Amino acid sequence: MSAALIEAKNLSKTFPGKGMFRKSRPVQAVRGIDVSVARAEAVGVVGESGSGKSTLGRLMLGLMPATAGSVTVDGRPLSDFTGSEWRRLRQRLQIVFQDPYGSLDPRRRIGSQIADGIRLHGRGEAGEQVTALLNRVGLEAAHAQRFPHEFSGGQRQRIGIARALSTAPDFLVADEPVSALDVSIQAQVIQLLADLRRDLGLAMLFISHDLPVVAQLCDRVIVMYLGRVMEEGPARPVFHRPVHPYTRALLSATPRLDAARRKERILLKGDPPSPADPPSGCVFRTRCQHAVEACAQAVPELAPFGGDGRRVACIRAAEIG
Amino acid sequence: MKRLLIPGTLVALILLAALAAPLLGLPDPVRQDIAHRLAGPMEGSPLGRDEFGRDVFSRLIWGARTSLGVAFASALIAGVIGTAFGLIGGWFRGLGELLTVRSMDVILCFPPVLLALLVVTLMGPGAGTLILVLSVLYLPGFARVTYAEVLSARSHDYVEAVRALGAPAPRILLRTVLPNVAGPVLVQLSLAVASAVVLESGLSFLGLGVVPPAPSWGLMIRGARATMEQAPMLLFWPCAVLTLTILAMNLLCDALRDAVDPRTGGTRSRLRARDRLLPGLLPAAKPAPDTVLAVRGLTVEIDTPRGPIRPVQDVSFDVRAGETLAIVGESGSGKSVTTTALMGLLPSVARIAAGEAWLGGTELLRLPEEGMRRLRGGAMSMVFQDPMSSLNPVHRTGDQVAEAILAHRPISRAEAWRQAEALFRRVGIADPERRMRAFPHEMSGGMKQRVMIAMALANRPKLLICDEPTTALDVTVQAQILDLLAELRRDTGTAIIFITHSLGVVAEIADRVAVMYAGQIVEQGSVAEVFQAPLHPYTRALLAAVPEGDTPPAGIPGIVPPPHAFPEGCRFAPRCAHARPKCSAGALPLEEAGPGRDVRCARWQELACRSEEVPA
Ligand SMILES: Nc1ncnc2c1ncn2[C@@H]1O[C@H](COP(=O)(O)OP(=O)(O)O)[C@@H](O)[C@H]1O
Ligand code: SF4
Ligand code: SF4
Ligand SMILES: [Mg+2]
Repeated sequence: MSAALIEAKNLSKTFPGKGMFRKSRPVQAVRGIDVSVARAEAVGVVGESGSGKSTLGRLMLGLMPATAGSVTVDGRPLSDFTGSEWRRLRQRLQIVFQDPYGSLDPRRRIGSQIADGIRLHGRGEAGEQVTALLNRVGLEAAHAQRFPHEFSGGQRQRIGIARALSTAPDFLVADEPVSALDVSIQAQVIQLLADLRRDLGLAMLFISHDLPVVAQLCDRVIVMYLGRVMEEGPARPVFHRPVHPYTRALLSATPRLDAARRKERILLKGDPPSPADPPSGCVFRTRCQHAVEACAQAVPELAPFGGDGRRVACIRAAEIG
Repeated sequence: MKRLLIPGTLVALILLAALAAPLLGLPDPVRQDIAHRLAGPMEGSPLGRDEFGRDVFSRLIWGARTSLGVAFASALIAGVIGTAFGLIGGWFRGLGELLTVRSMDVILCFPPVLLALLVVTLMGPGAGTLILVLSVLYLPGFARVTYAEVLSARSHDYVEAVRALGAPAPRILLRTVLPNVAGPVLVQLSLAVASAVVLESGLSFLGLGVVPPAPSWGLMIRGARATMEQAPMLLFWPCAVLTLTILAMNLLCDALRDAVDPRTGGTRSRLRARDRLLPGLLPAAKPAPDTVLAVRGLTVEIDTPRGPIRPVQDVSFDVRAGETLAIVGESGSGKSVTTTALMGLLPSVARIAAGEAWLGGTELLRLPEEGMRRLRGGAMSMVFQDPMSSLNPVHRTGDQVAEAILAHRPISRAEAWRQAEALFRRVGIADPERRMRAFPHEMSGGMKQRVMIAMALANRPKLLICDEPTTALDVTVQAQILDLLAELRRDTGTAIIFITHSLGVVAEIADRVAVMYAGQIVEQGSVAEVFQAPLHPYTRALLAAVPEGDTPPAGIPGIVPPPHAFPEGCRFAPRCAHARPKCSAGALPLEEAGPGRDVRCARWQELACRSEEVPA
């Protein structure tokens, strides 16, 4: 794999508790995560809501400050970029959101929203480029004159992608871009993202709660639970032969067309604990069927497992893997 | 735009009259003529003369200049500065917030009259003083409204998106945030102008505003009060123009707020709300003896400004005891309208155009509301997608379940509570005694959905309708709920209609499946048959779109047509790879393709033969 385009080291984010007098506990949304994404590589981030996926994405884009750890682009920390350099960096890092309804300004024509990225960075005459971008994502030039409410969810998601592409980025965070879409439309958008990656050499952090979708699109996958990485490795092998008890449970809970393909069903008990009050030791232990006393003692290290470049954070990985 | 016309014209006329006062050749508004003191209407004075014999009409018009000038000037000054404060405070938070928004709170502590007295003492009375006082008074209102709006706008992804594009803060504030907070600011502006007109009158009345003999509406009211008994009309006229002006302003601002919002462009949003309420289904056969619900030819019609639409057409299906029927389709295909119609919960603009639905011996579609009410939550009940909006946030969950029992059975409260506890336990809620005393917001999404299911089961329904009950949940929690539903069905023999857009969930939970597209059932049959050997091109395309890990999923080009643009004949034709002219020739029936198997496609037989030769 070529050198990392963007790399996060020991990245953490804690949101302070809310409330003036009786502060609620701080939320540890992301806890000591390492990620690196190479040029044209797609890395998937999988986990349930509240596992810290979106926070990780925003931290990597520099849209919010990290509590600890660093993000580097081409080897330089984000904090190094200031003034006009920061603006040039902004062009290179873009985001596509989950909610196709909330992510477009309802009061502006979509052409003008897409043109923003071109104008802001003085990338030349907007009109033709907007048309090219619209065509690129499968829409027509005439659509530029319309307002967001005139489009369906899938079309809006394409518009969001066109807007992100308007600065010619080389890294894209796609935060659950297909979760709100119907399957038939989902597949169109996944195909579009795959094409963009191939044609433009776009690097991607693809956030999803859907392991099969990630296996489809990504080279590598990171499985998160309560702000920590549980398992990490090449996407297909992780999907076909998950090792960490959480990855297994997640996959077995994912509804599949062919029920026979699902291994024995692992039904997790209860709900994920609150990130404001995570369990000690292994954060998954309160729902893990393999948990033993030792699991509460120390945070399991994310250690290499097997020969396929996989890393797993479970003290019993060798026994149960 | 039409809505702007009337209030716009009215306000324009009022402003024009005020502006044009010097050109109208009116009598001098301050020239006294004691001889005609309190005279009624007379030549040259259509509204008569006041207590100093001055022309009332002329004073009204000239007074408008002063009153409106003061009101608009102060509202605009306060609006511009206050909005800027709110934008800065809301965007930068921290120190900016302290300086701009919090400092405003100090002003709010001053009673307006006290503030006015203070300023008048310092500056002397007059229009300039009034404008200053009023602007200061309205500043906090604008700052706070804008501040609150900015805080909510900030959390929208589209604001985050322009940040990610690298736009500098002033540009984000002006181009993205400001237009989206403009609505409430405009409303605030109308309120400020209206209240400034009133306050101007009040302060002038108290002698703190405009200095006599200059005309203003407030001064006119003040003057007229003394002679109220002899000449009541003197009081009436300024009050009337005051009221009219305020009314016109309020109307105008409401209309403006709507006009600046591109979404309120007529019928669109109303159609969308309805689109979301769609469903449809299909078969046709004599109901088997254990059939719980038999629906035949259900057609729902909704009147819209573009003419009637039929979001659900000719939907027929059966559900048998202990069976789960999944209705699957993309959003807008008519799934929810179908079930809403069955529950008798259609919005008032919608009506049943045709069809019948038999729940045992009861025909649901023509049952009076009172009868429906007894069935809902009784013999048939429903679980919705969003448990938060279906549970009452101010009542304990245990009370809500007990209430559901009491609504249908004449038992004591204590007995209902006891049964509710059993239900909580039944749906797998650990520690039911404690959980029953919890409020909905104290529960996780999965737990709330369990409470909803407990409530739906409270009166042992024969039919349970679940509308995307797991869509908002995480997969591990979804798996728990699906498991619970399967177990309940096994134990109680309840028939379940399960609406979903996920084919994986269908495979997981259903015995039979009805595939809906654009308001019609296009295929139905047992899940095993339909998924193994789909007959309809749409079903095939849907299955091919599901990511299963190895073969890349294939999308279906295009989108589901909206109900006012359903194509003639086969509604899937514009997106179908196998479409031929005959597909669009006329309405297609739902044909029986085998026992319990129906399909609505002009070419299903040809296509089925072909796929046998070339296994896909
Ligand atoms: N701005 C914020 N302030 C406080 N807490 C937050 C904020 N953003 C996210 N969180 C919390 O951080 C945790 C992780 O959230 P998020 O990154 O959104 O997870 P995911 O994207 O995996 O659903 C959650 O508990 C969430 O409530
Ligand atoms: S460390 Fe223990 S609790 Fe955590 S996943 Fe492994 S076995 Fe389960
Ligand atoms: S009727 Fe024709 S257009 Fe419609 S699904 Fe069948 S083949 Fe396709
Ligand atoms: Mg998220």
